[in-house]
Amino acid sequence: MALLEARGVTKVFGGLVAVSQVDLTIEERMIASLIGPNGAGKTTFFNCLTGLYKPEEGDILFDGRSIIGLRPDQITALGIARTYQNIRLFGSMTAIENILVGQHVRLRSTPLGAILQTPFTRREEQRAEKRARELLAFVGLTGKGDMLAKNLPYGDQRLLEVARALASDPKLLLLDEPAAGMNPRETEAMMHLIHRLRNELGITILLIEHDMKVVMSISDRVTVLDYGKKIAEGRPEEVRNDPRVIEAYLGPGILAETHP
Amino acid sequence: MLLPSVQRGLRIGAIAFAILTYLVLVGLPLRLGDLALPILAGAMALFFWLALRGGKSKQDVFNRQPALLFTAGLSGGLTAGLLIAALLAVFVNLTSSGVRLQPIFDKMTPPNLAALYGVAPGAIVGGELSPLAWLQQALLLTVASGVGAALVLVERWARGRPTPRISALRWIPLLLPIALFLFVLWLGMPGVTFGGNNRGTIRLLAAMVTIGAGILALRAAHPGRERQLLSLLYLAGVAYLPFTLDQFQNSVLGIVFIFVMMGLGLNIVVGFAGLLDLGYVAFFAIGAYMYAFLSAPFSSPWLSAQLQSLGIPANAPLLSFWMALPITMLAGWIGGVLLGIPVLRLRGDYLAIVTLGFGEIIRLFMLNLAELTNGPRGLLNIAPPYLFGYNLGNPRDIFILGLIGSAVIAFSAYRLDNSRLGRAWIAMREDQDVAQATGVNLVRTKLLAFAIGALFAALAGQLYAARQTNIFPENFSLFVSIDALSLVIVGGMGSIPGVVLGALALKGLPEVLRGVDEYRIVTFAALLVTMMIVRPEGIIPSTRRRRELHEEAEPVVGEDVPSVLERLAPELKSDNPDGGKK
Repeated sequence: MALLEARGVTKVFGGLVAVSQVDLTIEERMIASLIGPNGAGKTTFFNCLTGLYKPEEGDILFDGRSIIGLRPDQITALGIARTYQNIRLFGSMTAIENILVGQHVRLRSTPLGAILQTPFTRREEQRAEKRARELLAFVGLTGKGDMLAKNLPYGDQRLLEVARALASDPKLLLLDEPAAGMNPRETEAMMHLIHRLRNELGITILLIEHDMKVVMSISDRVTVLDYGKKIAEGRPEEVRNDPRVIEAYLGPGILAETHP
Repeated sequence: MLLPSVQRGLRIGAIAFAILTYLVLVGLPLRLGDLALPILAGAMALFFWLALRGGKSKQDVFNRQPALLFTAGLSGGLTAGLLIAALLAVFVNLTSSGVRLQPIFDKMTPPNLAALYGVAPGAIVGGELSPLAWLQQALLLTVASGVGAALVLVERWARGRPTPRISALRWIPLLLPIALFLFVLWLGMPGVTFGGNNRGTIRLLAAMVTIGAGILALRAAHPGRERQLLSLLYLAGVAYLPFTLDQFQNSVLGIVFIFVMMGLGLNIVVGFAGLLDLGYVAFFAIGAYMYAFLSAPFSSPWLSAQLQSLGIPANAPLLSFWMALPITMLAGWIGGVLLGIPVLRLRGDYLAIVTLGFGEIIRLFMLNLAELTNGPRGLLNIAPPYLFGYNLGNPRDIFILGLIGSAVIAFSAYRLDNSRLGRAWIAMREDQDVAQATGVNLVRTKLLAFAIGALFAALAGQLYAARQTNIFPENFSLFVSIDALSLVIVGGMGSIPGVVLGALALKGLPEVLRGVDEYRIVTFAALLVTMMIVRPEGIIPSTRRRRELHEEAEPVVGEDVPSVLERLAPELKSDNPDGGKK
């Protein structure tokens, strides 16, 4: 059974159809990419998946259950986590605190428990902190846990966003342009991390990316959006050679560029 | 380099002159009496120190050169001194030639001027000032500015010393509260005449400064053994205060700590969760009225009628203070949720306006629902708290109850701040949408902030009602909300010790400064504005806020610092310089 199944998802803003009748199926442990020109509706589609927007039409099934109409926090609790195109960390919280907020849905302690510091709360907090340190280590930020999120270098902020998303134990991770604004070395390390997320943690990944080198080398499947519509879907090499995709998005130069 | 220092001095001097003029105009010298000159000179020396050291970082202090410092200081002192001397000369001349200044400057009485010159009022009226007296202010201010400049140098020297010296020095601020406490005790001993008529006021001020200094000292202490030891010591000191202070002093501090309780609650709503609530007085009123209903049902026409029809005697309290506590807390909680639900979707300014309305609604409700609340005539004869038959309604015991209440609330707030809920509050304040997408249930988190904040305010309200024994709708005006919000901001948003200092400064100082009576509000407005410009994060900012507002003091971490990703990256192939399209 597919982990995520979107059927005919349509989102309209006023007169603008941002996402139009998009179908998308993602199998478990897959790395899928969503590409397309700016304004094609990729991020809007993400926002529909995470509950920030409610689509006008269509249905989204996650793990066999419809998530239309659920609040974002409920969807996170079900197992979808995301990062943002323009990094949106909690800047004045430390790296560790950011990850602890990420764990929010997995923690159970109550306000009264916190005031009284019940054994349960104490144990849970210790476990949460330990887990946060582990996640920090997983993305390679060991030793930066007590820095304020906004004081981290740009690339580290991206990593911290991934760690925060991982903290909610997602089954599906949505990455919105994980390599945006990175230099080639950082991009390569990010690709390596995405592979590890899938291979070591078994997380299914859907990512939006403009860097064709990233998209073509790590995706199992690529979906192309243009003006809110799905215009192509398939394995990276199929999509790369699709004339419609070349015309709408890649441009003729892409063939030369990705085949050195 | 010399000219800029002189310019700087002129600027500082002008500010000093403005402050002094204000203090003289509001009649402070008269209040201070014999101590006017030394206190004003000391205050100005402190001002010059702060103005001359400038800047917010330690580095600035090191950069000050002695020669330039004294050039700036002395030109500043001389400017301020000559200006104030000239101004006072004009006033004295006018007074001695029979012009009455009071219609315009109503504090410009001969005694006020006389206090400043240290002579009898007759000398001012008769114009018998010695030539030296005319220049007294100029000399005094020049000396004060010199002392200020010297203080900067002392600070520079102290900061430049190797660590062992400093570690000995750091005990000075840590132990200062003990010295202040002993001073308070000494002032209270029979036969001590320090300060003359103002002895009681000075003692109150000293007691407040002791509490404030104690809090600052605890923050400066090293965590662990040292802090625990000092905490115990200071706790014992504060616990002893109510027993040594007199009625008036206890009564002022009682109100201060009722406001601490309220401020701590508001701090949760505004400081932690970032929900600007301008109608916070509503919950204070709910707490006070709920206790009043339970304690003095006979004051409410409708309640007493109901009780009579049920055959319950309505001439005695229904519940004692302690039995009423859970009910008041519940009422506050429900009030918080009721306000919270309609404003869940509102943010920032809109939230502020709606909460403002809510506060007014509750007050108008109290005012107009006369059948229940007895309207403007208020609820009377509310019972004080009793413990084992002992009446705790006197100022001293109310102060003690305020201290205990504040301690319990501060403790709870501290634990909440460092909990799952506290993190969710801060995340919500930072970025509401992302917080929700990260898994924070906004409805629950917001309602909990309102409800917990309201519960604390209701507790404060109950203590307030028990203290006043009679409450009227006018006790719960918008100004209470504004006071509570101001003390949170002045103390430092989101900072628990800051609330205590804010309450001492905003609710305590006005009592000490009764002398400036009608100028009190103006003085506070000026202080608030200055404070917000100089130190927008409050007296004791929460660590978070300080970092937010003074970023430049942080070590610079930017894009030129390699990120972890970059170091982790496998060796880059040289034939791919671009790394793909962006």
